Amino acid sequence: MDYSIRAANVEDCKDIARMIMELAEYEKVTEHVKVTQRDLEQDGFSKNPFFHGIIAEVPEQHKSSEGHVKIGYALYFYAYSSWSGRAAYMEDLYVMPDFRGKGIGKALMSKVAQLSLAAGCKQLNFTVLNWNKASLDFYISQGCFDVTEKMGYHCMRCEEEALQNLAQP
Amino acid sequence: MPDQVKISHEELESSGFCENPLFGCLVAEVPEEHKSKEGFTVVGYGLYFYTYSTWRGRALHLEDLYVMPEFRGRGIGKSILSKVAEVAKKMQCARLQLSVLNWNTPSRDFYAAKGAQDLTAAEGWHLIRFDGQSLDNLANDAPKD
Repeated sequence: MDYSIRAANVEDCKDIARMIMELAEYEKVTEHVKVTQRDLEQDGFSKNPFFHGIIAEVPEQHKSSEGHVKIGYALYFYAYSSWSGRAAYMEDLYVMPDFRGKGIGKALMSKVAQLSLAAGCKQLNFTVLNWNKASLDFYISQGCFDVTEKMGYHCMRCEEEALQNLAQP
Repeated sequence: MPDQVKISHEELESSGFCENPLFGCLVAEVPEEHKSKEGFTVVGYGLYFYTYSTWRGRALHLEDLYVMPEFRGRGIGKSILSKVAEVAKKMQCARLQLSVLNWNTPSRDFYAAKGAQDLTAAEGWHLIRFDGQSLDNLANDAPKD
């Protein structure tokens, strides 16, 4: 199947918002999604964007059953490792179910890697749920390693009330 | 893991203090009369950068929080953490995130006491990484424009 991989622009935010919800459904956490199309437009396409996006698009004749031609995305941002310098973090990687198994996920991730290297990044990081065996197997087959498993790092988060309390002097 | 540190102070200068800095940093400083035995007055730091959650929007990642051993136990680490949280709030970040080594019990206890959730323990999140050769290989597979 023919497809193209390109940088996202502000007009893509409607489809990105749609696919974010589809990915949240897959991860069983739709009630956690608060980000709107408008948030994506403001946060991703202003002077100092918080993230960058890559879109996978198919020609009109291969559109999805609901008529979508934008059928996958990757969303990433730049991070910093005090050990190795600039790094990239891939927040989301998603391909609509009907378009899987054709190398589109791999192509999206490779594009993120290419752009990250071009920007001087030494690492590309992301997180995966340990029960998501299909994804874990895919990523390991691409040559990455599980930092949590190997080095023992745990991901920690403060939000809502805990974050409010933390910010008190 | 000192052999893992590859960057220099020159890189910190160029990455953190340019027009679009890659990170922010807070430092803890003591007066001259309380300097460390080697003569340092800057005795702790917190290094952070902004991230994005497609669920909750803007977030902040605390990459490093450190206080020199002889200055611990006086609330300096807690102050740095609170200041970073204040920065997060000012920038309308919904989350403050960090990683901790699983054997680092004092740090895990410190963050847990502050209300941090351990997402790896509670929800099964694992951090995955491409670097070195594996990152080069992945990038070489990108479709040509």
